[in-house]
Amino acid sequence: MSTTAVLRSEWIKVRSVRASAGSLLAVFFTTVAINVLASAAVGQAEADNEGADLLFGAFYAFNFGQIAAIAFGATAVSSEYLGGALRVSLAAVPDRNLLYAAKMTVVGGLAVTAGLLTSFVTFLSGQAFMGRYALGLGDPGVLRACVGGGLYLALMALFAAGLTVVLRSAAATLSLLIPFLLIVSFVVGDVAGSVADFLPDRAGQQVLRQHPAGTLGAWTGLAVTAAWAAALLLAGWWALRRRDA
Amino acid sequence: MTSIDVQELTKEYGTTRAVDRLTFSVRPGRVTGFLGPNGAGKSTTMRLVLGLDRPTSGTATLGGRPYATLDEPLREVGALLDAQAAHGSRTARDHLLVLAAAGRIPVRRVDEVLEQAGIAAVARRRVRTFSLGMRQRLGIAAALLGDPAVVMLDEPSNGLDPEGIIWIRELMRGLAREGRTVLVSSHLMNETATFADHLVVLGRGRLLADTPMRDFIEAHSERRVRIRTTDPARLRALLAARGHEAVAAGDGRWRVGGARAEDIGALAAAHGVPLLELADEQASLEQAYLALTADDTEFAATADNARQEA
Repeated sequence: MSTTAVLRSEWIKVRSVRASAGSLLAVFFTTVAINVLASAAVGQAEADNEGADLLFGAFYAFNFGQIAAIAFGATAVSSEYLGGALRVSLAAVPDRNLLYAAKMTVVGGLAVTAGLLTSFVTFLSGQAFMGRYALGLGDPGVLRACVGGGLYLALMALFAAGLTVVLRSAAATLSLLIPFLLIVSFVVGDVAGSVADFLPDRAGQQVLRQHPAGTLGAWTGLAVTAAWAAALLLAGWWALRRRDA
Repeated sequence: MTSIDVQELTKEYGTTRAVDRLTFSVRPGRVTGFLGPNGAGKSTTMRLVLGLDRPTSGTATLGGRPYATLDEPLREVGALLDAQAAHGSRTARDHLLVLAAAGRIPVRRVDEVLEQAGIAAVARRRVRTFSLGMRQRLGIAAALLGDPAVVMLDEPSNGLDPEGIIWIRELMRGLAREGRTVLVSSHLMNETATFADHLVVLGRGRLLADTPMRDFIEAHSERRVRIRTTDPARLRALLAARGHEAVAAGDGRWRVGGARAEDIGALAAAHGVPLLELADEQASLEQAYLALTADDTEFAATADNARQEA
């Protein structure tokens, strides 16, 4: 089996399913659009607050972008679990390691590209509305936040992709992760310095802060998110290898 | 030439034995009908051959090699397992392009099989809009994509209209004539009889028959005549003189194997033997098949019903 052939096949799979291609585009467009709106409407007022982290505020729309990233990771994988599609895929590529690696490479590669693009465009477009609070790429921590933010979105997509292989359904993944991100993490997340710091989204978002709060630093926080994604990718790999298709 | 060889193949799901020490070979150059009631283990066997499920024990090989070790699987084996496997939001052509890319098969071939399967006109429509028959044709197009030496089709005529059924029949016979190995599952005997050269019959995961189609027909569609007469002794003697044996069938009726009603009627008339009843009986293939599988039907309404039909 040729690796490049399988990669190409996986790329056509993502491209040709509306839900995956659409959510990948949504990562970029939703994040940038919401960030521009938020910055224009309340950006300066929020920045005026005591102790506001200007850099973290610049990535406010990541709360929404990460949901699109999760949806991308989930739907790119879940198409294999509809109507026995995985059997057709495995008949074409019987080497399960190769199929899994190729799929996750394509999902990860697309997510990193979309993530970095989103991250930089979100930051730059949002700052245009920030007046005297505006940050530049040269300011401390900004470049780190832009690069780290892109990686963060990609890691969340891979986290969801691995989980979807385990659960064999995008609906299951999304109904587990979205409430988790919107509610659990949001509620317990404000209690810094606790176990909540190690939740995949809270930990990774440290990289977006000018002054990381809590136990984890910027890059160590992102590393915790990477560990979560790696754990789920391993679980998915194990599930695909072990199960009957 | 590639054959499919199944050796002592067993697959258990929990405590259920879906495939039970199955051994048979599918040879090239002929269509092998793979028959059995629902739940007999046909689809499971096909999945085991493709390495999709792991056998509990035993082996399934293609030309002596397990499927997973084939260098270019799509060029060696084409399979249709489930017409629902194509993603609804993909177009038919994209579905095939995905497979062609993985198997390094030229795009030209995608358009060829779309044409061959009669769905070229709808190639750029989303699969979601397809009828079951069109999905079935797409699945067959996918199976033919790599121009494979082995073709395995699981209930391919499902959802096809009568014209489609004739098409698939001719297609399968054509593939076999070209020297390919063709395995086609079905749960309908009469349908299978129209295209298969060879039969492999399963019941509850076990092999019930592995025989040429012609032998099965000869063995199971024997002509016989049912008669009732006021003078059985004379009639039996007349029949015996012509090499026929009349066997008592209860209720004063007699059965004569290998005979036709017109011959016996003429014979009785010529010798003045009064006949009260005279009728041809022909066990149909479907009946022969039902009789064979009656004890092994997992989902029969009741065992009695199944036997009555048989």
